[in-house]
Amino acid sequence: MLDTLASLGGGFSDILNPQNLLLIFVAGLIGTVVGALPGLGPSAGIALMMPLTFGMSQTAGLCLLTGVYLGTMYGGRITAILINTPGDAPAIITALEGYPLMRQGRGGLALGVSALSSFIGGTIGLAVLVFFAPVVAEYAIFLGPSEYFLLMVIGLSTIVLLAGDNIFKAVIATLFGVLVSTFGSDYISGYVRFGFTPELIEGIDFVAIIIGLYGLGEVFFNLEKRIVLNLGRPEFRFSDYFPDRGSLKTSFWPVMRGGVLGTSVGILPGAGATVATFLSYALERKLSRRPEKFGDGAIEGLAGPESSNNAGVPGSLIPLITLGIPGSGGTAIMLGALIMFGMQPGPLLMIQSGDVVWAMIAGLIVGNVFLLASNVLLIPVFINALRLIQNHLSSIVLGLCVVGAFSLNYDIFNIWIVLVFGAVGYLMKKNDYPTGPFILAVVLAPLTENYFRQTIMQAQGSWDVFVTRPVSLGLLIFLVLIVAASIAKKVVAKRRGDTTP
Amino acid sequence: MTVNTTGPGSRFKAVIGGHMATLGRAIMGLCLAGSMALVPVGSVMAQDFPGRGIEFVAGYGPGGGHDTLLRSMAKVIQSEGISDAAINVVNKPGGSSSVAMGYLNSHRGDAHYLMAATSSFITTPLMSNIGLDYSDFTPIARLGIDPELLVVNASGPYQSLEDIANAEKTLNVGGTGTGSIEQIVAVQLGEAMGKTFNYIPFQGDGNVTSALLSGQVDFVITNPGPVKDFIASKRFAALGISTGERVDLFPDVPTFKENNYDIELSLFRGVVAAGDINEEGKDYLVSMVKKLSQSPEWKTSYMEPNSVVPDFLGPEDFENYLEKMNGVYKKSLTDLGIIKQ
Repeated sequence: MLDTLASLGGGFSDILNPQNLLLIFVAGLIGTVVGALPGLGPSAGIALMMPLTFGMSQTAGLCLLTGVYLGTMYGGRITAILINTPGDAPAIITALEGYPLMRQGRGGLALGVSALSSFIGGTIGLAVLVFFAPVVAEYAIFLGPSEYFLLMVIGLSTIVLLAGDNIFKAVIATLFGVLVSTFGSDYISGYVRFGFTPELIEGIDFVAIIIGLYGLGEVFFNLEKRIVLNLGRPEFRFSDYFPDRGSLKTSFWPVMRGGVLGTSVGILPGAGATVATFLSYALERKLSRRPEKFGDGAIEGLAGPESSNNAGVPGSLIPLITLGIPGSGGTAIMLGALIMFGMQPGPLLMIQSGDVVWAMIAGLIVGNVFLLASNVLLIPVFINALRLIQNHLSSIVLGLCVVGAFSLNYDIFNIWIVLVFGAVGYLMKKNDYPTGPFILAVVLAPLTENYFRQTIMQAQGSWDVFVTRPVSLGLLIFLVLIVAASIAKKVVAKRRGDTTP
Repeated sequence: MTVNTTGPGSRFKAVIGGHMATLGRAIMGLCLAGSMALVPVGSVMAQDFPGRGIEFVAGYGPGGGHDTLLRSMAKVIQSEGISDAAINVVNKPGGSSSVAMGYLNSHRGDAHYLMAATSSFITTPLMSNIGLDYSDFTPIARLGIDPELLVVNASGPYQSLEDIANAEKTLNVGGTGTGSIEQIVAVQLGEAMGKTFNYIPFQGDGNVTSALLSGQVDFVITNPGPVKDFIASKRFAALGISTGERVDLFPDVPTFKENNYDIELSLFRGVVAAGDINEEGKDYLVSMVKKLSQSPEWKTSYMEPNSVVPDFLGPEDFENYLEKMNGVYKKSLTDLGIIKQ
């Protein structure tokens, strides 16, 4: 423990000079803006900044890149809340609860709560990174396809909570999501499914789907309804943007639970962060005394998932730093950056270049503080900028969606995908089909399928693994319990309904 | 860009039917119009090549293997003064590099484009209907190879190729994807040993490494990059390598051939230009890449950190090599049932 603190202190002494601090601050701001643009995420942000780092020292270069990486995580929530256009899968919940708040004229509050939740979640994740990284990494690799499969099924079970009133419509939306997710090459069998054009060989880009479904779908829907956002009168007082005591109290435990959930589930490679946000949302809704508010701007439904989303960021760096295994698109780029700086990511990284890694971790801690400050201070700017463009909002959102779609692959194909899913989103909203189950199926169905097949292949045809591996068994029991509990609840409710006419 | 524009349109209609078909056709039409507008009216080749900057085309996004190769090339070519032409790295990701192949093919006859070519350059045309293959392009050079290693967990029960050949149960083998060179090596090794292995495809090197670390598979077939530190720190042990001779990177690892398993198959990293380019442009590109591969800076900044084994092939040899690899992949993928005759 003392060793760890001494190493961390060394890291701080490396970065605490005016030049590096300014670099981290600017990098965080750039990251926030890049992350706020739909379609541009951490991968694009880091790739864009890479050439700038060439003349820099290792420490300065890595501070710049991690600053941008962390910044994009803060930025993703801004467009989700302001214009209902999440930039990545974990931000979907942010849009689900944040955008209704925005329309009620409480957008500033939503931005404030989510910034604070992001900060606390990130801090919890960083604490785990600093003190438990090696232990956590060994635990994460112990999990195999059978555990991942069950985790994905648990993630899919939250569909029931996102379903809304009509279960039949939710089932249709889910199955449509499964269909969409099957496009493209399947790495287990090697076959290409529905590869009508070469662009479809790798499947439909998930980000293009959410830009279309939420961003463009909302524009189409609003064109018909002529909805005017309730932005209130111009306000520049800081207190209006910083969460009041009541919302802080409501969101305290959700943020803590979200942080713990985010670090434990968000660390797992692949869809870890996404599953963590959906689980946190489901948990808060179960625990809430007013579950009917969820979907209509519930503070705790915004705070918990936002915290678990950011807790996963330092978490995803753990396998990268300790084992050289990238768990997400953003960390894959970081892996490339480490190699370019002449380091060797892998089990020997901490031994060979420990000082640089600790400086990078110190940079993340400082960056997290800077980002909280700049994101809270920037809220009036965002809200008032939105007020200025309010009359042209549809055209501006449309423009952002098109540019975002183009920037995914730098070609026009994804613009058509966005257009198609914009129409789908409009039709779903108009006819009351829930988008949550659809999007969850798009993300989780292919993973569930592939983990299941890997499990059975690895066990050479036997199904025993699900009960012989202890963690699998635990997850399986948990899954049975939540399903049984929800059925029991329904039955009890029905009996009561029968006896009271 | 004559990539089966009618085919997909009609299949789109067959699947979705009705109203969507009209929309589909409209979209296809617009796509076609858009891409036609981008094709230059006529490319005039300047007398002295290069007449303008050279574009390096990466078939995958930033941070991917193609991107790293080309960006490192551009950096060394400029810092060592190998060429004073402006070099611009462009990412054309999508369709397992088929988008980049289509893009390069749209510049047929123009030598100002150089594209990274790895196994997907052969396998993507074999496994899909993009209407192009390796013979539509001009091979420039193979820069090196990524050998395949057979790696076990150092604390596991199998510590030599003999242990594996004598194992009683069916062993689980991990590798990346199906139809990949890792799977082909696993299948060939199984045939040579007279055994059947249970090959499990994983998505990406990281998952393969994790699976071996936690003992979920008995051994893996992988490139050196992701495992070399684990080998150095004695958590993994490499039992065999797929090259003809032992390599400098792992002097103690015997080749499969030394153990009388006739397997010599590696991934390649090369560059190709558009088809039908003139001799002047081709000669320029070949000499540029050749000078690059001889520079010490290239060795220390790209080849060594990425564990690529230097094995340079010029245009003619590279062309023959590509033809041979196409045959190997075609046979293996057909045997595996992934492509139909």
